Amino acid sequence: MNGGIAKKTLTHIGISLVLLLNILPLLIALSSSFRSVSNMTNPLQLFSEFSLESYRVAYDKMHFMQALGNSLMLTVISVIVVVLFTSMAAYPIARINNRLSKALYLFFLCGLVVPSQMVIIPIVQTIQGLHIPSSQFTPILMFITCSIPFSSFLYTGFIKSSIPIEVEESALIDGAGLMRRFWQIVFPLLLPVTVSVVITQGVWIWNDYFFNMIFISRAAESPLPLAMLGFMGDQTNPTAWNVLFAACFLCALPLLVMFAFLQKYFIGGLTVGSVKG
Amino acid sequence: MFQGKKKMKTILAGVTALAATAALLSGCGSSDKGEESSGGSKNVTLTMIVSGNKAADGQDFELDVLPKMVSEKFPNIKLEVQKLPDDQYNTSIKTKLAAGEAPDIFRVWPRMGSAASIIDLSKAGYLADLTDLPFMSNISEGARSDMSNDGKVYGITKGIDMLGTYYNKDLFAEVGITEVPQDWQAFLEACQKLLDAGVTPIVMGDKDPWWIQFGAYQLAANTVYSADKDFDLKLQSGEKKFTDETWVKALSMYKELYEKGYIAKNTLGLGGPQATQMFIDGKAAMVFDGTWDFPTLTAQGAATFERGFFPLPGNEPGQPVWQAVSTAAGWAVNAKSEHLEEVKQVLNYWFDSSSDLFAEWVKLNPSISAFNGVPLNNDLYKYSYELYQSGGNSIYFANQMWPNGVADTLQVKFGEIIGGRKTTTEDVAGAMQAKFDELWKK
Amino acid sequence: MNSAVLKKTMYWFVVPALTMYLVFWIYPILRLFQYSFSDYNGFIQNFNYIGFDNFSQIFKDGVAGTSLSNTLIYTLVFVVFSNLIALGLAFLLNMKIRATGLYRTAAYVPTLFSAIVVGFIWSYVYMPDSGLIATVLSWFGVDGASLNLLGNYSSALYAITAVDVWKHIGTSTVIFLAGLQTVPVDLEEAGRIDGASSWQVTRFIRLPLLATSMTINVTLSLINGLKAFDYSFIMTNGGPGRATSTLLFEIFRMAFREMQYGKASALAVVSFIVIIAITIFFVLRLNKREVSA
Repeated sequence: MNGGIAKKTLTHIGISLVLLLNILPLLIALSSSFRSVSNMTNPLQLFSEFSLESYRVAYDKMHFMQALGNSLMLTVISVIVVVLFTSMAAYPIARINNRLSKALYLFFLCGLVVPSQMVIIPIVQTIQGLHIPSSQFTPILMFITCSIPFSSFLYTGFIKSSIPIEVEESALIDGAGLMRRFWQIVFPLLLPVTVSVVITQGVWIWNDYFFNMIFISRAAESPLPLAMLGFMGDQTNPTAWNVLFAACFLCALPLLVMFAFLQKYFIGGLTVGSVKG
Repeated sequence: MFQGKKKMKTILAGVTALAATAALLSGCGSSDKGEESSGGSKNVTLTMIVSGNKAADGQDFELDVLPKMVSEKFPNIKLEVQKLPDDQYNTSIKTKLAAGEAPDIFRVWPRMGSAASIIDLSKAGYLADLTDLPFMSNISEGARSDMSNDGKVYGITKGIDMLGTYYNKDLFAEVGITEVPQDWQAFLEACQKLLDAGVTPIVMGDKDPWWIQFGAYQLAANTVYSADKDFDLKLQSGEKKFTDETWVKALSMYKELYEKGYIAKNTLGLGGPQATQMFIDGKAAMVFDGTWDFPTLTAQGAATFERGFFPLPGNEPGQPVWQAVSTAAGWAVNAKSEHLEEVKQVLNYWFDSSSDLFAEWVKLNPSISAFNGVPLNNDLYKYSYELYQSGGNSIYFANQMWPNGVADTLQVKFGEIIGGRKTTTEDVAGAMQAKFDELWKK
Repeated sequence: MNSAVLKKTMYWFVVPALTMYLVFWIYPILRLFQYSFSDYNGFIQNFNYIGFDNFSQIFKDGVAGTSLSNTLIYTLVFVVFSNLIALGLAFLLNMKIRATGLYRTAAYVPTLFSAIVVGFIWSYVYMPDSGLIATVLSWFGVDGASLNLLGNYSSALYAITAVDVWKHIGTSTVIFLAGLQTVPVDLEEAGRIDGASSWQVTRFIRLPLLATSMTINVTLSLINGLKAFDYSFIMTNGGPGRATSTLLFEIFRMAFREMQYGKASALAVVSFIVIIAITIFFVLRLNKREVSA
């Protein structure tokens, strides 16, 4: 019995060490962010000082609440639309087993290999050609579009492997239409994979500065990553690194909280969604 | 899977609440567009995108002061400003220009400097003609013409920038360097003295490759342009080449600083901020940089010392020092702006030497003013500035007459020399010439 | 359910996603192909078609060669290390111990930070003299000052790849974990009862069942590696020299710094073909193994 406990303790220590090494760079940044603005000497002395000054400066300078609001707006709208559109798209692709479905599946998947930096000029020209004004909401179009490949891949896999057609049968006998069957029966069952989609797509949309930078031209409409870019400019101001790190953590905090709550479902969703499929 | 259902519902409720909050938060601040103001003039929103670094204290001229003072003066005009780092700015403005979505006012660089330059953009018809604005006569001749193309003025510069050598006066005194080096020989001797005393003579942030230009252009001013001010015009006509002796000489002199260990080892691993930090911490005696970095280079580091600034003397003994002094980046107006009248109103107020906004701008502007009659702000630059004013031995930053991309090649290839590759200075010049030939279209 | 009418109506569900995808993704990509045959500079709308000049210029420059080999090295290192480390980590985190939730979060945390932030923090880690690695080495009496990972031609590429590996591990680990959870516990126990060592359980029971997650992970990391851009852009600017200049970075440099959008599009088309070819090759190979496993 004692041996078991010892072994377990050892395991814990081992894992902790590995993970500590993993997050060491982040720890240094975190410790720096808790220093006063001017104290940049020897950042390796972890947590030698505890001051919220850097956070206060970062908070004010990036207009945190405003930027947070913008970020939430962009991310939440995009993710909701992504979930709706791609779950819908995956439904027939997963249900019907023919060439068209297979072709659509691959066609969507292909989009994954194209980097957006490459096509940005034609993209903006297309949007302009459609007379869509460049506003706070324009990046959402691209967030949704770029999320389609991976999300539809996850949904298709999940429906194929875990939503047997039988679950719809009783509804079919009741004469329920396609819409009702999908929204009332299938969609609720997709929750685990929806969590995976929300996390994987939410994270990149939350962190993306590229599309925001291209489309948003008003400081008041900037989401967090764009507000962060202002601090990157401050790289030339070496004395403000602590503030930059503080800004980094302010920016990532909402994601950390979300992940801590959802991580259980996240792995579960991937299990059934992609890995089994 | 089904057990988690209740929890999932709670989570979904949370997400919905978040979405609602987001809508609330983003709702404020975007409600007052296009209303008639009490004065009867129409309310307009002007957009402005610029590049550069935000001021550290939150009192950034372009982001904070300008919009506030503009709306105080013109209650019907709202100025929305966005500031991005240079690289991001270039990507963003080009994409916007390509799509016809450019802001009303934006950052431009003089002549052909950088990716958004007066000459390139005015040729493409993107810039509004500003020649007739009343304050133009107040800007020094050179600064105006650097922001012009075909006789029309398209931009207003922030001021004049000088490249130079920031140095630690205390360290210089410690090792017994009593006066500012006046020629190349003296400069090398000073470096040797510092090195012998165990002090790193020069630190550079070459991981940010544009830092290579800071030293190279100062040396080229003395080897290339002191002999022939029109070198670049002749380069464009094909009469001269980078591979001619003078550019190769400038590069070889620069190489010498690295070879002899005068410039710190490992600069390819140091970014600009890190190099600056070493200088203000007193760990290196000199750094080549421009006047625009005044705030960072004079910030308080680990050591307290007096700073000085002199032009890098690439000249032979007995010859005058040539300086790299240039018109700085500035602002241009979108030719397709829907609110040209209002933009001009704002500019006239801003650059009217008697306005309170102008006074505020002069106070916060780190560049040396290009407006007549504005005194020098920072005593640090007094020595170089007086030299520039009295002698007239100066040249613009060399890349301003090259297609964008040639300077990039200089950085890439010279980086190979710093990194100890077998690249020779002739190779660097050759690559620059090849890139020039590829990009230059008459 | 199998009636033809139902099937056809079902495809209406694809329309919203497909429309957006076609309009905002596929159409712009086709425009890119068009530009690759022109001398378009990125903002002046009148341009000429110049045939295959851009393509021949790319190969003449040697630009394509350098950036392609950089990209391939990057991808190879990235795929191998991110998957091996993630696999090890996933086995550790799959153990029946307490606080796995906390550990998993810790493993996934780097993934949550944006590339800008990560690049910035790691620039500090790599800094000569006073950076994290240099300082730690100096504790052991090694002279850290001469260690210049980002500034050295032979190490810069590996240094930025390591950053990407670090950031990507979380994602791969989670996918492996998901795969491990599909391994039925009784199968493992049956193996143990039959006297298999824990290595044998891993080798013959767990690994084969991980084949699908392996395919996903390798494919994702492959695409990620071939699309490498962020850390060249943020940490090294493609330097020193062109040592960390990847395909995508080179495209960016041409398009936005040298204003040769046509030439950049041509390189984009070339790299596009390379990426698709490599990805398809690997996916087919992996799929085959998966079936036979």
